[in-house]
Amino acid sequence: MTGMTGRMFTAATKPLSWPITVKVPMLVVLLMVIVSAVITNRVLARLADTQERHLEQLAAAYLDGLSTSLTPSVLREDIWEVFDTLDRSRERYRGLNVDWAVVTDGNNRVLAATDPTRFPSDRTLAPGIVAQFPGAGVELVEQLTTAYAARPLTYQDREIGHIYAAADIRPLLQERSEVFATLALTNAILTLILAVIGYCAVRRMVQPIRILTLHLDRSTQGPIEPIAEEVVGSHGGEFRRLFTRYNGLARAVNEREELAAKLAEEEKLASLGRLASGLAHEINNPLGGMFNALDSLRRHGDRETVRTTSGRLLEQGLAGIRDLVRSTLAVYRDDSGRRRLIPSDIDDLRLLIEPEIKRKRLTLHWTNDLSGALELPAARMRDAVLNVLLNACEASPEDTAISLRAVADAQAATFEIADSGSGLPPHLKEYLEQPDTAVAPFGRRSGLGLWMVKRLCQELGGSIHVPEKGDGGTLIRLVIPFESRELKHVA
Amino acid sequence: MAKAEASEKTISFGLTPVFLTNDLELLTKLKSYLERATGRTVQLVQRRTYEEITALLVSGQLQAAWICGYPFVQYRDRLSLVAVPVWNGKPLYRSYLIIPRDREMTGVEELKGDLHAFSDPNSNSGYLVTAALLARQKLRPEQFFRQTFFTYGHRNVVRAVASGLAQSGSVDGYVWEVMSEIEPELTGRTKVLRKSELLGFPPIACANTEWERDSVPLLKRALLDMRHDPEGLQILDLLRLDGFSSEDARLFDTIAEEMTLVMSLPA
Repeated sequence: MTGMTGRMFTAATKPLSWPITVKVPMLVVLLMVIVSAVITNRVLARLADTQERHLEQLAAAYLDGLSTSLTPSVLREDIWEVFDTLDRSRERYRGLNVDWAVVTDGNNRVLAATDPTRFPSDRTLAPGIVAQFPGAGVELVEQLTTAYAARPLTYQDREIGHIYAAADIRPLLQERSEVFATLALTNAILTLILAVIGYCAVRRMVQPIRILTLHLDRSTQGPIEPIAEEVVGSHGGEFRRLFTRYNGLARAVNEREELAAKLAEEEKLASLGRLASGLAHEINNPLGGMFNALDSLRRHGDRETVRTTSGRLLEQGLAGIRDLVRSTLAVYRDDSGRRRLIPSDIDDLRLLIEPEIKRKRLTLHWTNDLSGALELPAARMRDAVLNVLLNACEASPEDTAISLRAVADAQAATFEIADSGSGLPPHLKEYLEQPDTAVAPFGRRSGLGLWMVKRLCQELGGSIHVPEKGDGGTLIRLVIPFESRELKHVA
Repeated sequence: MAKAEASEKTISFGLTPVFLTNDLELLTKLKSYLERATGRTVQLVQRRTYEEITALLVSGQLQAAWICGYPFVQYRDRLSLVAVPVWNGKPLYRSYLIIPRDREMTGVEELKGDLHAFSDPNSNSGYLVTAALLARQKLRPEQFFRQTFFTYGHRNVVRAVASGLAQSGSVDGYVWEVMSEIEPELTGRTKVLRKSELLGFPPIACANTEWERDSVPLLKRALLDMRHDPEGLQILDLLRLDGFSSEDARLFDTIAEEMTLVMSLPA
């Protein structure tokens, strides 16, 4: 669990390792953010432009209209008419949102203003106010809330006064921020919708890959499971072809597994045959002596010494046969794998490979350090070790040596079988050491025995090691852990 | 000759810029009523100043006109009274000195140095009353006030004071009172500092020469009967007047005295 969180954490910091169902929506979001940023920027710039132009036109119209109607009144210095004109123009130029307007005479003295309390008539207009007005045009500054526009009043080429007007531009700025908010909100919603669509679409697209991955994952724990026909049928195009090919592959692999099992069975029968011929040979040897003794008895049975010698020989021969039969019985007794392994089970194997040892004149080094009953199933353990021993006999050239060493500690029993052969081919070594069941290596008869060993080992939860052996030949180490007591208790 | 006959049948009636003259509903109703009551075609004539209307009246271009008491006493020898409006049961009104609502004052003398709004140089309530008040102190308006200006309309005086353009104004008391019913938000920004004594209400007058012709008696009858006619009552309601009455020219003697006082000041 900790490992998984750690992996996820590492994955979260590396966008390239994100699943495609996240990557594509994230890409959509990124693109949308860029697009909306560009669009918003453009729209706002255009809006500001339009607003500024509009304001400028409106201000020009306002000042033009005013200057025409104000000129006669300014000439007469008619305070009331100037005020009345300014006051009425407020209604007429409502769109301009005039905050205040002042009309001065040629001496910069206020004639009248829209707000007489702020700009009393017959007083000089403060220079600070005049300084706020730009030379020409209207400025629309984001930080300011007021736009200033001024126009001289001329009559017969003589400057008779000025109009100063200040417009409240907060509504324009307000409009800008509203447009910005609308754009941002719309883009955010669009982005979200597109991201969700992207997620759903990609999820749907990669679903066949997930199915395939799931089946491949399962195949590591057992036989390869083909994808159900209705699932294959529900997909079209390249995925249907992919699934069909996967199913073909699954069928082929499963057939090979079956074939391997069948060949292993045959191999078992073949070793049985070898064992049987070995047994016959073992029985045949004392039989010859026994027949000789019988013949001597029949011919010279009246002699006391002959009777004694023949009886001893017969007894020896029969004892040899009895031992052989007993150990064979012990080895092949059907105990359904319930009996626990005892040290003599391993020692009995020595008798079983004896014929092979003798045939090839091999030297056998036998070290059995096991003691007491071990928490291991006797029959399957013996099968596994016997197969390795037989393989070792087969691999060893004549007049060489093989060895067995069996030891146990608190957790597991270890069996090391060494031979003096030409060594294990690398692909077999790899096959044995791999933890999961892979396809059995074919093409060599020797592989089948190993395949069985591997199967048994795996059933017992053990592992196989093939360490490097300095003096040539092969060393195979089986490490089989004891069955857990709880498990045994439950069973 | 036929043309003269036709013009003979038309009554030209002059209206000074009292505040309600720009009310189209009133003008339409007044024209319609007068035409029905006199049986003549009535032409309502409006001008910007009292002076223009007075000139038209004196020169005989108008059969009658609603003028102010001041022009009436100015041309007393050439004009005759037709009728006087009755307001609050009397043919009288006052002139008001108004100031912005938030201006704290106790007396008229504090208005010294103001920018002052008058209605019309030929208006009694909108000029003469204040000028006479100052004349008693031997002062002319331009000496007492820093500056004065004329708005040519009583309503404009209220606007000028309400907006702060003028620090004080002289206005027709009748107009201010009626406006405080119709436009309380405008008059509410002003307050009355001083009310004058009762004076003759702006009358309807005609040139002496017109008195002999039949159109003036017809017009007088129509005005006096207005309070008994449903359409006439609607007009009176719009004007907030009780009716019109026939009065003696001596009603305007107080105005004549004020005029004499103002005229007596050395220029």
